[in-house]
Amino acid sequence: MNAVSYLELLRLTLPEIALTVAALLLLTLDLTLLRPSPLARRFSVAAFIACAGCLAAIALVAASSATASLPDGMFVLTPLTHVVHIVLLVLALLTVLLSTATRFTDHVGEYIALILFATVAMMFLIATENLLLIFVALEFLSLSLYILTGFDKHSRQSAEGALKYFLFGGMSAGFLLFGMSLLYGLSGSIELPRIAAAVSGPSLDPLLLIAIVMVAIGFGFKVAAAPFHLWAPDAYQGAPTVSAGFIASSSKVASFFIFAQVVTLALLPAAGTAGYRGYTPGWVPVIAIIAALSMVLGNLAAIAQTSLRRLLAYSAIGHAGYMLIAFAAHTPESLSALLYYVITYALASLGAFGVLGALEAEGVDRIRDLAGLNRRAPGMAFCLLIFLLSLAGIPPLSGFFGKFFVFAAALHAEPHLSLLWLVLLAVAMSAVSLYYYLGVLKQVYVTEGPADAPPLRIAPPTRIGVWLLAALVVILGCAPSLLLNWFSIH
Amino acid sequence: MSWIVRSLWLIPVLPMLAAGVSALLKREQRRLSASLAIGSMGISFVLALSAFAQALAEPARQVVNFGWMQFGNQWVSLGWLLDPLAAVMLVMVTLVGLLIFIYSLGYMAHDDNFTRFFCFLSLFAGAMLGVVIANSLLLLFMCWEVVGLTSYLLIGFWFQRPAAAAAAKKAFVTTRIGDLGLLIGMVWLYAQSGTLLFYDHGAGCLEQSALTTMAAHVTIAGMAVSTAIGLLIFCGAAGKSGQVPLHVWLPDAMEGPTPVSALIHAATMVAAGVYLVARVYPLMTHSALAVVAWVGAITAFFAACIAVAQNDIKRILAYSTVSQLGYMMLGLGVGSVAVGMFHLITHAFFKALLFLGAGSVIHGCSDEQDIRNMGGLRRFMPVTFLTYAAGMLALCGFPLFAGFWSKDEILHAAHGWGLSRGPFYLGAIGALLTAFYMTRQVFYVFFGPRRTTETRSEPVGSHHGPVHAAAEPHESPGVMTGPLVVLALFATLLGFVGTPAWPWFQSFLSGTPNSFDLARFNEPGLIPLMLSSSVLVFAGLLLGWWLYGREPILRGTDPDALQRLQPGIFHALANRLYVDEFFGLTVIALTRFASAFSSWLDRWIWGGAVRLVSFLTVGLGWLDAGVDRYLVNGGFDAGCRDLARGGRLFSSLQSGRVQNYLRVIAAALVVLAVLLLWGRRG
Repeated sequence: MNAVSYLELLRLTLPEIALTVAALLLLTLDLTLLRPSPLARRFSVAAFIACAGCLAAIALVAASSATASLPDGMFVLTPLTHVVHIVLLVLALLTVLLSTATRFTDHVGEYIALILFATVAMMFLIATENLLLIFVALEFLSLSLYILTGFDKHSRQSAEGALKYFLFGGMSAGFLLFGMSLLYGLSGSIELPRIAAAVSGPSLDPLLLIAIVMVAIGFGFKVAAAPFHLWAPDAYQGAPTVSAGFIASSSKVASFFIFAQVVTLALLPAAGTAGYRGYTPGWVPVIAIIAALSMVLGNLAAIAQTSLRRLLAYSAIGHAGYMLIAFAAHTPESLSALLYYVITYALASLGAFGVLGALEAEGVDRIRDLAGLNRRAPGMAFCLLIFLLSLAGIPPLSGFFGKFFVFAAALHAEPHLSLLWLVLLAVAMSAVSLYYYLGVLKQVYVTEGPADAPPLRIAPPTRIGVWLLAALVVILGCAPSLLLNWFSIH
Repeated sequence: MSWIVRSLWLIPVLPMLAAGVSALLKREQRRLSASLAIGSMGISFVLALSAFAQALAEPARQVVNFGWMQFGNQWVSLGWLLDPLAAVMLVMVTLVGLLIFIYSLGYMAHDDNFTRFFCFLSLFAGAMLGVVIANSLLLLFMCWEVVGLTSYLLIGFWFQRPAAAAAAKKAFVTTRIGDLGLLIGMVWLYAQSGTLLFYDHGAGCLEQSALTTMAAHVTIAGMAVSTAIGLLIFCGAAGKSGQVPLHVWLPDAMEGPTPVSALIHAATMVAAGVYLVARVYPLMTHSALAVVAWVGAITAFFAACIAVAQNDIKRILAYSTVSQLGYMMLGLGVGSVAVGMFHLITHAFFKALLFLGAGSVIHGCSDEQDIRNMGGLRRFMPVTFLTYAAGMLALCGFPLFAGFWSKDEILHAAHGWGLSRGPFYLGAIGALLTAFYMTRQVFYVFFGPRRTTETRSEPVGSHHGPVHAAAEPHESPGVMTGPLVVLALFATLLGFVGTPAWPWFQSFLSGTPNSFDLARFNEPGLIPLMLSSSVLVFAGLLLGWWLYGREPILRGTDPDALQRLQPGIFHALANRLYVDEFFGLTVIALTRFASAFSSWLDRWIWGGAVRLVSFLTVGLGWLDAGVDRYLVNGGFDAGCRDLARGGRLFSSLQSGRVQNYLRVIAAALVVLAVLLLWGRRG
């Protein structure tokens, strides 16, 4: 192994360091000086420090050099990772903003710090091409998320969800590690491009196929794709709302990005095809199967839900299916289609969870409790409308263009029209998804609520965060080139 | 260019602003509304005076044009102008307007909608002043239409009365018919000359180059284009100025409050038609002017006839106005701008005076308008009587009063007209009739004993609160008699600015130097003509006295003196020569028939087609609904049921038992691995 210049490492990881410092600072402050203060004060101070840290990190990312790398692919910065870093930081900032109004815990410092730590983990995850570091960062992220899920100590559901999440996560981490070790064994390297060089050959090793399946299981768990999704509904339902939103948004972006990195960089030669007639083994058919299964299962199961959170959980599974189509397409534009989709999805779903969090504080949880929301909180109702319609893929909201780019990429896949079956299935499932999204909106806008229901009081930070997210969803929908150009310029 | 020319736009805009502010006021803010209206009018009057002074100092025409909006690469320009014609009109409109505004303070004092009244009145004044200073036919037309609108609003001011509402509608529709001609003429003018600016440094539509082109073009029946356009514009003028046959709205317009009748339907708006013809005078060819002259002469005679047999004090004045407007048109047709305009100005003063006097009488007699129920008011209302007498003498053309000079000049011009003597004779007989009907009116109203009101028909209006029917007639307050006195002075003396010996007004309008020269009376035919017209006036007065003044009229129910002599003629005249009935039988019947026919067409032919289509559609709809219900929906519902069942099945996978969850992973691993390995082999 080559010697690592620690100064260089420090310089490259300045944004991560800034975030960590902010997390430690707010943790210390909260545990010492602010201990006797009222909860609201502690939340605002912590959120302020966290936001400052995020902004500083964004500035540092923006100011840092365009490309850099450390030996063995341990730390690789490209313009694309800068973009994803900024997106992650913005999402973390909005998550913190939304969490300031929650009152479920008095461990304020730990909660906010964990959000920042998870973000640091994700930033490392994005910026590495080394299997070992990927695994470490992934576990770092997962552990933070387990804790965030189980953070509501007064709720049995929260503990149950966290435990299921943890058990499931541990199991799939085992599979992932197994798969990675197989890859290492086959190629003798833990650096993604080198693995690709080593495994290329005329025919595929059976062990490589097993490794592909195991890696797919490991990441399939992270992105909540069927049939590795079983933790998701319980975790989404049990977790504090903001944690659920964070899992559904930030962690999705990071996991999908690294999943795409691994399969396209390390397993490039072992792609295979998933055509209706010409089927060749490789990771593309595996992902196509997982995608199809996720779309069908997620969207159909969502119909039967009565809780808004579970509905969002199942819809997240369905969306994971759509995003996996972009993988399966495996064309030059599929990475930018995937990123556009996952980023806009993250915005809309964080927004939906934000609205949900605001409502749950007032005791609204089940879909039928939403009746008459339009009268009680017209602003929140309107934002929910935007988020859900974007998730359903109604133009001109960004969800529509996400689906459009993904489907367009899939139709360009080689051989020609081989993935048509997947796209047709996806379109059909979009139609199904419209049904349950509109069912929610019907409750919000059409069904009469109880006559004496008082107007809801929404905390200002939540309101700001939700409106910002809604504005982003609309703007990116009206001008998708804003985001797309950013990917392609870099 | 002096400041007054540049800021000439202020004159119309100030009253309009006052109207806009008044429109926002509450009903109770009467004083503020009236002060706004009178204040803005006062400032406009002062500005108009300075404009007049400027025009005196520099008679050449000054224009200010500006681009209004762009179509393609063409600009539609608007602008205003100051020349002697506009200056004279400005002073007249602002002065008469100001006096009538002040008078309205007293006349409308008891009305609930005082604020609204002053709002409309100011809007009218602004628009009228806009007509006066417009240097673009388009701007003139816009203001013209606002004037028409305010006329409609003010005639129908007491819209609770069906007669007032109907009269407002009638006025609006009738003048719109004329306006249609004006609009077509305007569009045609634009098509021909490419501009609607009157004067634009040589490029305007009233300037030499455009006129030459238009005169050279020949359209249907050998008419020059400019003749046709001129006649179309004259249509608009005839509608506004109540020329036969579009005069029918003007007498009915007397349903409005009397100050409105005085301002709009005597002094200013109805004169706008005359002013329009004077403004586009360069466009009027000889043949167009001949039409104007004949229409004017016929109107002058015709309306004077009808006025003889009317019993409503305001209606008599209304027909008199129509008749005098005919004289003005005649003056324009046979003479020049100055001839017609001189009569316009003098008429504005004495007719406003007469209307306001009539208003004072009506006010003093508790809203009585029938002259048969008045009588002897001379004793009760001395100021009103004296001023009214001055106005009456001016209107009759009694020597040395204002009307004498202006009417005489028209008759002089008509006498010298080369084409025909017809208009002259019509005008002369009209003069006789004018003296006659005014004498009749004055004897009925002011002389003889006070006649009781037992024959009173319906009480007119409720705007003066509870009708104090039995009350003695009383003189009106100073705020009403003051304007009367001012107007009476003008009615008496204004004629001296345009006598043959010192034709200051005429030379001011035509821009020629002026001098005092008694020798002009020696012009052949002038003195005899003046004498004969005076004789006609005296004859009319005498005839009136003979019939109505010789022995006092004792009872209002007695038949009219003329009625006893010539019942047939009187009956025909009293019924306004059946013009309304004629329209009822022709134009309106035709319209009714056309509308009934259209309605039939619409109901049975088009409606039938629509119904057929709708039946077809409904039939198809039934068919479609059947297909939909039994074929499509059946399948779809089954599909949906399956989907929902699938959803429940999938969510039942979620048993909650973690062990099962983990087993799924293992199963997935096995299935996927087998699939890949099998695929590799095959």
